[in-house]
Amino acid sequence: MSLENGKISSFQLSVLIIGFIFGASVIIAPGQGAGHDAWMAIALGLTEGLLIAWIFTALARHFKGKTLVEINSLVYGKILGNFISVLFIWYLFHLGALVLNNYSRFLELELYPATPKTLTLILIMLVCASSVRRGIEVLARCSLILVTLTILMAIFDTLLVVPHMDLHNLLPILDIPIGKLLWTSHATAIFPFGDAVAFLMVLAFVNKPEKGRSAVFKGVLIAGLVLIGVAVRNAAVLGQMNAIYTYPTYITAQVIDVGDVLTRVEVLVAINLITMGFFKISVAYYGAVLGLAQVFNLRSYRPIILPIGILMVILALTNVSNTAEMFDFANNGYPIYTIPFQIAIPLITLLVAKLRKLPQIGGDQA
Amino acid sequence: MSALVLIGFGIVALMQIPGLVQKQWWRELICFVLLWSMGLVFSLMVSMGITLPPLTTIINETITGMLGI
Repeated sequence: MSLENGKISSFQLSVLIIGFIFGASVIIAPGQGAGHDAWMAIALGLTEGLLIAWIFTALARHFKGKTLVEINSLVYGKILGNFISVLFIWYLFHLGALVLNNYSRFLELELYPATPKTLTLILIMLVCASSVRRGIEVLARCSLILVTLTILMAIFDTLLVVPHMDLHNLLPILDIPIGKLLWTSHATAIFPFGDAVAFLMVLAFVNKPEKGRSAVFKGVLIAGLVLIGVAVRNAAVLGQMNAIYTYPTYITAQVIDVGDVLTRVEVLVAINLITMGFFKISVAYYGAVLGLAQVFNLRSYRPIILPIGILMVILALTNVSNTAEMFDFANNGYPIYTIPFQIAIPLITLLVAKLRKLPQIGGDQA
Repeated sequence: MSALVLIGFGIVALMQIPGLVQKQWWRELICFVLLWSMGLVFSLMVSMGITLPPLTTIINETITGMLGI
């Protein structure tokens, strides 16, 4: 019995991936370590990100209509398969908690300094729990409206900030050591592009599985191009300060001042953050809940939505001690920590499946 | 604060458990109770001011320490 009866179109998948990739990228600007060369780090990272997407979509194409948990059971057997699945579920759970944490820290620092962080976390978690409860179809339909609005708002922000841009701020190109550029681009490939590996829990529900890969590529590519545009805009407006600010996208929007009338537009960036963060948390949350329900062979994933959400809030509350640690992890630890989940698990599973000639037609592929 | 936590967890339990018992979904009930209990214990610890280890910081320090980043 399938735990998810909903189906999404390949177009909805692309849009959902765009929302997912924007997710925390509004807060932790990708490629920031490369200073004004951030756009280049993102472009290189996008290439590596597409390679990661190629690997996990190859696995999904090989086992059409199966989530990673089901694939692991087929490829490695019940015990080892479930063990690997639990590791992947931990990654999704941790990813959700990290984004929640980023989210609450941003709101606490910039918008609601007097509101307790716990309350912010509980409120967003309740919204995400509601969407996860309604299934992947509802999430995908939400993405069509909200991602379109976010892209329109990003274009609006950019147009208003044009008078403050100085393209000389992008020069000299390749001003940082090549090693640092490569590391930053790898970090960008892992976060945000590689995080799309979470869609291994969603690709099974695309109505035309053969279009899954192109939908993932389109989503990653469009999100990457928008992020490159945002990085160029931020560097052109902020110059050398781009690398110093904690939230450059937010600061860039603060610069907007049209005749002393249209000011404080940065709230639009905060709205983008709230809506896109919702997608990233929800997809990770959905994957963790669905995966755990499949590991324990439950008849429905709905009974465990709230307890997992509560645990995610607790992890988000206790995750890191301060914002500096959060950024340190995003720039140094995370690019290494996620390699097993984003690259090793899908790649090794694909290779083992090929070696074992799985799935066998009419055999144990079910 | 702890009283609020207990009330919140009580509401969650009331929302889920009767339905699961009625349907006789015992496996789902066990799973729910296990996760719910973990959440309750950790939430009570946080509400009582007990500091839980910052997992992400530990992971970060382990990785950066091992690789000398």
